[in-house]
Amino acid sequence: MSAKKDMEARFGRACDALFGALKGGEALAVEFGGEDSTFLRFNHGKVRQLGSVERVDLSLRFYANGRTLGSGANLSGDADADAKACADLVAKLRERAALLPEDPYQVLPAATGNSREEFSGRMPDASRLVEEVLEPGDALERAGADFVGLHAQGPVCRGAAASSGARHWFATEIFATDWSACLPNGKAVKSCYAGREWDGAEWRRQLTAELPRLEALNRPERILPPGAYRVWLSPDAVDAFVPFFSRMGLSERAYREGSSAWAALRDGRKTLAAKFSLAQDFSLGAEPRFNELGELAPERLSLVEAGKFANAIVSSRSAKQYGAVPNAAPDWEGVRSPSVAPGDFDDGKALEALGTGLYVSNVHYLNWSDFDSARVTGMTRFACVWVEDGKIVSPIKDLRFDESLYRLWGDKLEAVGRRRSFIAETGSYVSRDLGGSLVPGMLIDGMTFTL
Amino acid sequence: MSVNLKQLAGEIAPPGAEWCGLRRVRLSARAVQAKDGRFDLAYDYVDEGCMVEVLYRGQFGYAAVASLDSGALSRAALRALELARVGSARPVHAFDRSVRPDTVVKWETRRAPGRLPGSDELCAFAIDATRAMRSSEKIVRSDFLFELRDEEMEYASTSGAAIAQLKHVIGYNATAVAREGSLTQRRTLNGPRGRTLQGGAELLDFPAMKDEALMAAAQAVELLSAPECPSDRRDLVLAPDQMMLQIHESVGHPIELDRILGDERNFAGSSFVRLEDLGTLRYGSELMNISFDPGVESEPASYAADDIGNPARKELLIDKGILVRALGSLESQARSGKAGVANQRAQLWFRAPIDRMANLNLEPGASSLDEIIGSVEKGVWMEANRSWSIDDYRNKFQFGCEYGRLIENGKLGKVVRNPNYRGVSSGFWRSLFKVGDASTFRVYGTPNCGKGEPNQVIDVGHASPVCAFRDVEVFGGEA
Repeated sequence: MSAKKDMEARFGRACDALFGALKGGEALAVEFGGEDSTFLRFNHGKVRQLGSVERVDLSLRFYANGRTLGSGANLSGDADADAKACADLVAKLRERAALLPEDPYQVLPAATGNSREEFSGRMPDASRLVEEVLEPGDALERAGADFVGLHAQGPVCRGAAASSGARHWFATEIFATDWSACLPNGKAVKSCYAGREWDGAEWRRQLTAELPRLEALNRPERILPPGAYRVWLSPDAVDAFVPFFSRMGLSERAYREGSSAWAALRDGRKTLAAKFSLAQDFSLGAEPRFNELGELAPERLSLVEAGKFANAIVSSRSAKQYGAVPNAAPDWEGVRSPSVAPGDFDDGKALEALGTGLYVSNVHYLNWSDFDSARVTGMTRFACVWVEDGKIVSPIKDLRFDESLYRLWGDKLEAVGRRRSFIAETGSYVSRDLGGSLVPGMLIDGMTFTL
Repeated sequence: MSVNLKQLAGEIAPPGAEWCGLRRVRLSARAVQAKDGRFDLAYDYVDEGCMVEVLYRGQFGYAAVASLDSGALSRAALRALELARVGSARPVHAFDRSVRPDTVVKWETRRAPGRLPGSDELCAFAIDATRAMRSSEKIVRSDFLFELRDEEMEYASTSGAAIAQLKHVIGYNATAVAREGSLTQRRTLNGPRGRTLQGGAELLDFPAMKDEALMAAAQAVELLSAPECPSDRRDLVLAPDQMMLQIHESVGHPIELDRILGDERNFAGSSFVRLEDLGTLRYGSELMNISFDPGVESEPASYAADDIGNPARKELLIDKGILVRALGSLESQARSGKAGVANQRAQLWFRAPIDRMANLNLEPGASSLDEIIGSVEKGVWMEANRSWSIDDYRNKFQFGCEYGRLIENGKLGKVVRNPNYRGVSSGFWRSLFKVGDASTFRVYGTPNCGKGEPNQVIDVGHASPVCAFRDVEVFGGEA
């Protein structure tokens, strides 16, 4: 049995055992996460750590007599032991929930829909990871760069089910080779090859395509004083700003609790440029549409339309608490599968349009610096270069920026690229994340750098 | 589940393996939160599994499974061996068994006897406290969160290691958000999740916690009418709850040996520190003494041995401002030839251990708080971190705090809102001109230090006295 089939069977058995243990008046929502991953961590083009992780997690929400209690556990893969563990878990939840106070905004699972999506993939054989993944990087090493990063591969599964009848399954077999080529001067090119079908020729092509960029980064570094510069933000750089719509972002709860940096946008006190639009768009196919209650989000939800607030991210709990209309958001009310609308700017002319200024390939370690004005600080990183008269002059000593997003995507947003890049989600805290974003590059006139 | 791990290690070691180790981890956690005088959330969580590690021709391979069944572990050991065999064709370093010591030790968090409150009792307190915090109509949110967990780690190997460690961790926090017009201010207890400590019931002083939660709410309201922090250069006095972040970002990460060796360049970043700097680099002023100390009571990253079995002990890393030792595990020490500490740790059973900072502390100095404040002609006091950002070489940083007070002519003055500062790590630490004595020393910790590929999050502890830095760029918000 394939790993995906095995996990789907475990999900089914767990649901049977969990729902079968419920008594009258009780309700339950079940989230399932599973992976069978191989991780190859490398440095200097050599193996630093190599291993595998097989895990299946259950996350539960139990409801009885107005009480709500969450719980989590992992499944061992032993069918009998797991069935007993599930039944025991429900008994413990029943006992512990009875001690809790009533949940004033309890929303019982009500979803009844069913869905099933499964995507197969082709991964390198584990016995050939060195030849397939690392040896092509020798081209970078020969160019004087250290080849550093992580290759992760294998199936990742998600499921959700509720005692109200909802049952959803999403399984995909994916890889992501997240890598950097680091020069002795500290400059680097960073990229990620991700997908379902590993293609060794394409992998080698992507690596060698970066060699010219490395050459430019070997030039002497230019130290720029703080100030305002014209900037081209690559799609990777733009992508780093997108989580600020999730983090103290467009959540209904955050707005109501004084924790949304976008309150002025929502209240109509401020707007972004008409060139800027953002949506949640599951047509990207990179992650499931269902949430932990088994609710299915609309395929597309406009969040910012032509610079103006369009919709908040609203969970069923927030909907009940604040009288808002829910849109099947998960309880954390973040943006899933973000998609920034393309513009009409020809990306091939980015250097020419930039003229004299900074080409920013990547930014690093962003954080809110002034919440009320939506100001974000962070650093330039990797292959950022100084451009004069449309030509690359030299890499820069990294700069700190501190800029309000109302300005960055407001009066300073000169153009939005026509071509968008899909940036795969490669996070792996606890388990490998799914998803990604679709973002264009952007030309900014006068981005503020402070250090 | 009770198993004889040492026996299992011998049974599952596959033919051809030069060494085999097993690390079982069981996390048992619970949390409750109340918001605005009402129940908000409660959960219980258990996560248990085992990582099998195998050494083959200088390369470790690992396989992690959520099972203690000998059949499942035998299959995992074979998978680990196969991966070690693959990696041995091109290893970054050829390791041997010396990086997996045969340590035998049993350890548990020291805590006062006494029953821990149940989730119902914690909920009742949190509901009462958050209701009381909403004494002003300007408070738009009040919450109180408890997080309690036990982490049981057992480690055994074919070479005789046998380690059993049990860590008890309690974290709690109150958050008050105040709003007036378009202005928002928030206060927490020493920054988000700063009060994450090892211990038991002695950490839960309910009357004191309620007083502090009320103080947080009052200060959030107070900040609404405070002026912005000035934007200029002046002396900066940092409370221990902000020193925690300053030490973590601008000392801890840069002196991690795996970063210096380049392992993190694709993710968390590198370091401005080079291998040749060890023993010679003037990191800070002569008042700066930084220690790795896994034995401080209540500090969250205290332990007897790290996750590869290296016995942990206190080491001075920065001595009178000179960097003398790095945060490097046995593996990093073998690769670099430099001295290190026992800090190879993993998030849980499903991640391989890497270099971590654990408890990293600034040793107390000789100045009382009054002496420190009295020595500042024009300055600002800042406490409780709210924003943090630093470059990938750990040089250019910008940090923001929740609460500030001006210091003028040796006296604490009016409150200022949105206090921020920025600088460059080494220059900043060289401007350290006062270090508080033991009376100003406080222990804090956080459970969410992120690092590694695949990613890992882990407990770190930081203890520090109040410190003063000369001539720092400070600034406020835009409102």
